[in-house]
Amino acid sequence: MFSKKMVMIVGAVALIVVNIIILSVNSSRYSSYGSWRIAIFFIAPFQKTVTQSVQFLKNIWGHYFFLVSVAQENDNLKKAINQAIDKNNKYREVEISNFRLRNLLNFRETMTNQVLVAEVISQDPSPWFKTIIIDKGKSDGVEKGLPVVVPEGIAGQIIDISYNYSKVLLIIDPNSAVDALVQRTRDRGLIKGESYGRCLSKYVLRKHDVKVGDTVVSSGLDGVFPKGLRVGYVTEIVKRNSGIFQEVTVMPYVDFGKLEEVLIVLDSPKHDFDFVSEQ
Amino acid sequence: MTYCFYICVCLCLVIFQTTIIPHIALFNNFYDLLIPFIIYLGLFRPAREGILFILVLGFIMDSLSGGPFGLYLTTYFWLFIVVKIVIKYLHACNNILLLFIVAAGVLMENIIFIASVSMFGPDSRFLAITMRAVIFQILWAGCTGFFFITFFNHIHKKLEKFSIFRSGTKIT
Repeated sequence: MFSKKMVMIVGAVALIVVNIIILSVNSSRYSSYGSWRIAIFFIAPFQKTVTQSVQFLKNIWGHYFFLVSVAQENDNLKKAINQAIDKNNKYREVEISNFRLRNLLNFRETMTNQVLVAEVISQDPSPWFKTIIIDKGKSDGVEKGLPVVVPEGIAGQIIDISYNYSKVLLIIDPNSAVDALVQRTRDRGLIKGESYGRCLSKYVLRKHDVKVGDTVVSSGLDGVFPKGLRVGYVTEIVKRNSGIFQEVTVMPYVDFGKLEEVLIVLDSPKHDFDFVSEQ
Repeated sequence: MTYCFYICVCLCLVIFQTTIIPHIALFNNFYDLLIPFIIYLGLFRPAREGILFILVLGFIMDSLSGGPFGLYLTTYFWLFIVVKIVIKYLHACNNILLLFIVAAGVLMENIIFIASVSMFGPDSRFLAITMRAVIFQILWAGCTGFFFITFFNHIHKKLEKFSIFRSGTKIT
């Protein structure tokens, strides 16, 4: 009755119509009929792998190739930051130096003596002896035996001079001795250096009332240091059962590990060293 | 070339020891850096080459130090002599010897120095602190001395090779 061709055409039209109807019905509301879960079960792992691989490649591209210019910019910025830090550090150093030098200047103004500022350039190579080398010498009017001070107190004494440099024996050196007195009681003693950064006040009579915390100042009787300069404070007193003296440990006010600038007192009471050595 | 090398090394060591080390808290009890160099000279170099240099070095160190003059001179001289005697019986390249010899040198220097300081009449506290400092110095020397000597030897050999190479090139 119907040719085969006719059946094919009618079937196709019917299929299109059914398809359109289904599409129009489905487009009005969402439904997956559970097929999504099956699909995702099989497909998703692969998708994930591929996506991650692509993302990884993208990241590589983004971080290592595409961002070459950013890396260069970053390098430039780092350089700029380093320069800024360096500059900032220099300013801070200048600020600290300024503060330190102002202190030194204030101290210099309070001193009635004529003083010369010198910079510490090196320290003793041996840990057993305490000397420093400063950048002022004979050409600046420095002489052997002159006292060296800092705002905190007495630092030491010039023991050797060259044309441009001098060696200073610090008061904590075992060879050093300063005639001193306890500020509160005016009791005298001899401040001897001990290698480990402290001093010992020797020949302080047992009967003298020295207390921990007392300030010790120079007496001026040694002919080297001007009178009244701070030396240190008493940290320990040992009174033995026998003997007429007490052992008084004195901690210097000066932090010798941080000495950077010192003042040389040029017109201190003179001491004839040649005369002493001849004796 | 050899003496230039000695001068450069010593200059660097002295400057490092007197200007940089005092500012580093870690190295508060570090030993005399010239000791490994003197031991190196004693172990690997001929006596007539080293002795004059050691005397000059001792003189310089004595000038820089506040200790009695001649202390470094004495120490360096005797250290050099002792090392020369030691290598008559032991091989200079013996690693065990290199490990201990710097520590022994540091101990020797400290004994001489302490004996010198003791002349001023130290108290018990001084001795206690001294012992601690000496122990630290010896430990430092034991840990680092070997490397210093090896380094000096290595650099010197390289320089000698370079020197021979240069003179060879000039001849050809």
